[in-house]
Amino acid sequence: MAPAALPAGAFPLPGKEGMTNAASVPQRRRPGRDGALAEWADRRLKWLLAAPAILLILALSLYPLLFSIWVSFINYDFTVPGHAFVGLKNFQQVIGDPVARWSLVVTLILSSASVVTEFLLGLALALAMVKPFRGRGVAMSVIIVPLFISPVIVGQAWALLLQRPFGPTNYLLGKLLGMDVTISWLTQTPWNFIALVVADAWQWTPFMFVILLAGLTSIPQHIYEAAELDGVEWLDTFIFITVPHLAPMMLLAVTFRLLDAVKLFDTIFMLTGGGPGTMTYSSSFYLYTVGFQQFHLSQATAGSWIFLAMTAIVIGVLVRRLMRVEAAR
Amino acid sequence: MRKASRRRRRPFGRFVLIGLWLLFVLAPLYWMFITSIKPSDDYLANPPVWFPSHPTLVHYTAALFAYRGFQGLINSLIISSAATLVSTVVGTLMAYSLARFNTGGGHLSFWVLSQRFLPPVATVLPLFLIYRSLGLHDTRTGLVIAYAVFTLPVTVWMMLAYFRQLPPSLEEAALVDGCSRWRAFWAVAVPLAAPGIVAAMVFAFIACWTEFFFALILTSRNAFTLPTVFRAFLGFQGAQYGEASALAMVSLAPSIVLGTLAQKHLVRGLTLGAVRG
Repeated sequence: MAPAALPAGAFPLPGKEGMTNAASVPQRRRPGRDGALAEWADRRLKWLLAAPAILLILALSLYPLLFSIWVSFINYDFTVPGHAFVGLKNFQQVIGDPVARWSLVVTLILSSASVVTEFLLGLALALAMVKPFRGRGVAMSVIIVPLFISPVIVGQAWALLLQRPFGPTNYLLGKLLGMDVTISWLTQTPWNFIALVVADAWQWTPFMFVILLAGLTSIPQHIYEAAELDGVEWLDTFIFITVPHLAPMMLLAVTFRLLDAVKLFDTIFMLTGGGPGTMTYSSSFYLYTVGFQQFHLSQATAGSWIFLAMTAIVIGVLVRRLMRVEAAR
Repeated sequence: MRKASRRRRRPFGRFVLIGLWLLFVLAPLYWMFITSIKPSDDYLANPPVWFPSHPTLVHYTAALFAYRGFQGLINSLIISSAATLVSTVVGTLMAYSLARFNTGGGHLSFWVLSQRFLPPVATVLPLFLIYRSLGLHDTRTGLVIAYAVFTLPVTVWMMLAYFRQLPPSLEEAALVDGCSRWRAFWAVAVPLAAPGIVAAMVFAFIACWTEFFFALILTSRNAFTLPTVFRAFLGFQGAQYGEASALAMVSLAPSIVLGTLAQKHLVRGLTLGAVRG
């Protein structure tokens, strides 16, 4: 959205901006009835309406972020008294920590694996669900249920299913494959990574599904009918009609999901606890342990700034692009 | 024509996929439910007990009272409701300002949107320190304010999209009739946007109800919410499966009911209004 252009449905204010649309702007308000204060409030209304939200975000988001810059340059450590200025020491400690670097790799592996899995499954499901059939409404309601469940509970549920010796997963797999399955899903690599991806996919595939389904239903039906009259093959229809039409939605779904997936914390907390050792530490989990289990708060803050800087680049590029996509709609 | 295309696209493949997926979605929920009513003796049975012959509710009482799940439930209810209220009021006001007056050009709305994608660790760590020095740590008030801000971007963007959909002509008519801009907003736009406001409230509530990370760090023994109670069940190999499952059942019921009721608005909620469902 270009800052200068008024979006559809906006009406211009008289006053500083001048009157761009004199016909629709009322001039018949009765002065004196409301008094000068009301008059002033009315003219400043657009900022008065936005002010509470702006103040809340400034106080609870921007101020903490600025405060944390200060924290990251001093010693704010519950194990060391005093707040001495330490320069870049906190940053150096994080960068020099092999666990920190490994956590970045884990975050990349898990978030990309999850997002790809969810995208493919969500797309397949959306394609399967796009045409009406009996019971579609019920199926819809069931498919979206995971979106309303706390990630903590999702982690708990999968822990119940996978944990040895209690969980029924190994038993079922054993019956299915006709042999004994003794996988330690939560402590054995790569199974713990797979468990985390499965739990994430269980919860977030419906996210992709819902967005892609909305995209699919908005593709004009007559294009498909024309393709069918021309005898176009199913695969060609998919590649040359569905994909191009769905592309903006795909971008949106993947972007939104990816930006959340890199924050991965809850399922790791519940399923593997970062273990075995530090094998499944995601960046968020690493920063949490540094800050709240080792109480090196400054180091954690410095680390969170590095993490923030990395995600900010992605956010900046992708979200701006997204807003352009939306404006073009 | 539709029949022909259906035959060509092999409908059975679709239904197999949908069926398998429904099974995959329901399996963990079923297992958790069964675990919550299973006597502890059945936990380690081999083959697994798919349905207990003597269902019991002991785990529910234990989870709610011995593990303080009940207090978590009450805290969650109070905190989520209050935060939802603040977020909806403040967010709707801002959304209206953005939608009708294009306040701040595109920059303000982009700034609000970008808040949605900040990694929570980045704000929670300093917020923890600030809260401790202000005495807000481990208070409901503290978490309410934090949650109000955390849900604000979604509320603002959902309502922004909703207000843009409403034709401004009715409010313009009110202005021409001598209403103040506030009255045009309050008496004309808000009633028209009521369905959108309710949907935004539902999603804000669900977001607060299911949130874990903020609650984990900003609360401890007093203002703890339901999701943080699950920490108590970690690490004790097998001993509290029933309690954990019972608490999960209690916790997931309200958000699933609310979410299912607001299903129609789900796409807008998930995409911050970018996609109309």
